[in-house]
Amino acid sequence: MFFRRFLPLLFSLLALPATAAMTIEIVGGAANRIPVAILPFSMPVAPGMPRGLQNPAEVVAGDLGRSGYFKLLDTVDVTSPPAEPHELQLPAWRSRGADAVVIGQIRSLGGDRVEARFWLLDAVRQSTLAALAYTTTPEGLRTVAHRIADAVHQALLGEPGAYGGRIAYILKRNGRYELQVADADSQNAVTVTASPEPLISPAWSPDGRRLAYVSFEDKKPVVYVQNLVDGSRRAVARFRGSNSAPAWSPDGRRLAVTLSKDETSQIYLLDLMTGEATRFSRGGALDTEATFSPDGQWLYFTSDRGGSPQIYRASLATGAATRVTFEGGYNVSPALSPNGRTLAFVHRRDGRFHIAVMDLNSRQMQVLTETVYDESPSFAANGRLLLYATLVNDRGVLATVSVDGKVKQRLSQSGDLREPAWGP
Amino acid sequence: MKQLAYSVLLLAALLAGCSGTPSKEAAIEDRGIKATELEAAGGAKIVEAARVETKAATGSAPVSETANKSGEGVKTSGASTRTVSTKTTDSVQTHGVAAPGSEVKPLADGKSATVDGKNGGVAAEGKPAAQDASTLPQPDAAPSWGDLKNPENPLSKRRLLFDYDSATIRDEYRPVLEAHVKFMKAHKDAKAILQGHADERGSREYNLALGQRRAENVFKAMNLLGVSDSQMEAVSFGEEKPVAEGHDETAWQQNRRAEIVYHGE
Repeated sequence: MFFRRFLPLLFSLLALPATAAMTIEIVGGAANRIPVAILPFSMPVAPGMPRGLQNPAEVVAGDLGRSGYFKLLDTVDVTSPPAEPHELQLPAWRSRGADAVVIGQIRSLGGDRVEARFWLLDAVRQSTLAALAYTTTPEGLRTVAHRIADAVHQALLGEPGAYGGRIAYILKRNGRYELQVADADSQNAVTVTASPEPLISPAWSPDGRRLAYVSFEDKKPVVYVQNLVDGSRRAVARFRGSNSAPAWSPDGRRLAVTLSKDETSQIYLLDLMTGEATRFSRGGALDTEATFSPDGQWLYFTSDRGGSPQIYRASLATGAATRVTFEGGYNVSPALSPNGRTLAFVHRRDGRFHIAVMDLNSRQMQVLTETVYDESPSFAANGRLLLYATLVNDRGVLATVSVDGKVKQRLSQSGDLREPAWGP
Repeated sequence: MKQLAYSVLLLAALLAGCSGTPSKEAAIEDRGIKATELEAAGGAKIVEAARVETKAATGSAPVSETANKSGEGVKTSGASTRTVSTKTTDSVQTHGVAAPGSEVKPLADGKSATVDGKNGGVAAEGKPAAQDASTLPQPDAAPSWGDLKNPENPLSKRRLLFDYDSATIRDEYRPVLEAHVKFMKAHKDAKAILQGHADERGSREYNLALGQRRAENVFKAMNLLGVSDSQMEAVSFGEEKPVAEGHDETAWQQNRRAEIVYHGE
């Protein structure tokens, strides 16, 4: 009865503020930005085409513009956008300074299906760099637009973009904690769990269908796994003491978690089918923040076994661990790039907490940020961008930085943003 | 919903059964008073449970179904060492209603032969006790539940502060720990949650582990002084529950702490 009476009300309360927009600010960019003209897509009014659709070109331009790699040319004077390359005056755009031009069209395929086509044209060589067509629903056009931005990024920079993924993070506002999932451009935010008690450490399953996280709703930390498709969830680690720091194995069948049930905080491997937790780390030191290498061979984790918190790497086969970080007295929160070659972590220097990366072959370390309270780095799927949390004017915001440290963005919203995780 | 109602009934039945047990009624009495609040608290708990909503990211499952799933998730956890009923008592505990019903049994150790009407007559929260409270037995010299809230009594001190990146208990807290050890030895039914906390600097998960170590050191100290393992649980809130806001050492020192909290308060 209570559920029936109160839940719909609570849901409706919940759904409203989740739409509050996040603002994105670019705080740095590449030295040489590629000048690109992204023309509005041709969207002829036709039967079967819903009215009021956002032009995908706006989404593409937003993605590429914020990335810091591109300079967008003004296109407001384009009143009748070209639907095909032959309708485009490419030399005119070249003379306006464009190195490349994006055009496209949306047309109805009947029923609920629409087709999006785009062309990326080289204005210097007068040639076609990319041309692709996507079939989707009107609601799917935003997702397609992010894919087009990825394709343009790939064609012009020679490396994949990271516009199509999703992010999860915790929003604290009005004394409540919300676990939200949004597109990588922070739009379409949905609250998937809300609680009066803290939520931390969201972690995406490799298939992007589930989130593991830590909730304090039981007045102690408990690890939950939530299915994002149907919203169901279960407590997967609620042992005596504290349960925290979930990380997925690459096959999605196990979680590495930190438990204190036997000794002080130690790492365990939790089989999600059987619920069985097998102890992985041993010894009286504090071990936590485990993360799997993408090949599933190693666990990287934080330990204070050497007297200060440092990052270690242990073989999953043998358990043998070696120390990875040596510079400074505080290196925590390891995150691995998708190719497993770069380690990102939080590095303390002069009492300030920065995001740093290390090339795991050369062991060269580079500090990427100047902010003071940086936390929880995670890589985008393209391995070129890091998402992290920091404090600006005493408020929690999310930020991204390219792995070369050159391009930076900030995402803020009313309330405190924290604990971001970049997902598939 | 059904399960919640069942659990509330189960708990009420347990409590009713316990108040019929003649031994150690002092503690039972505390719960007896609170048992009258159970109905209301049970309702509050349901609302509270409803506040921890779970929602589909895509698609929209019917609300009642989602709620059920949320409940099942807690219950059917394969990895959980706890059962449905302990989960329920946990919920009750968070509302300060009562200690777990199963914890009442160890009380029947016959130690509470002496009757102390005065102590027995005051519930932990200073509310007037039910009438039969004055007749309940209470250990003569032992600290009472009421002492936990008495600012004159060392038992009212619950907070231990720690140095930066340290979990070592300072000497100044020995009298506080000894008072709580004495209390817990006298009240074998008392269950303490030892909560560790950290300041805001650095990784939330590392701070959770640091807070855990602080709580565990309090656990070990009290264990060495004779409190049984089963009466205590060490947990951590990391940096999530600061008592002092602000980003300076004054606030940080207040937040690096361990707290002794009793079930049923």
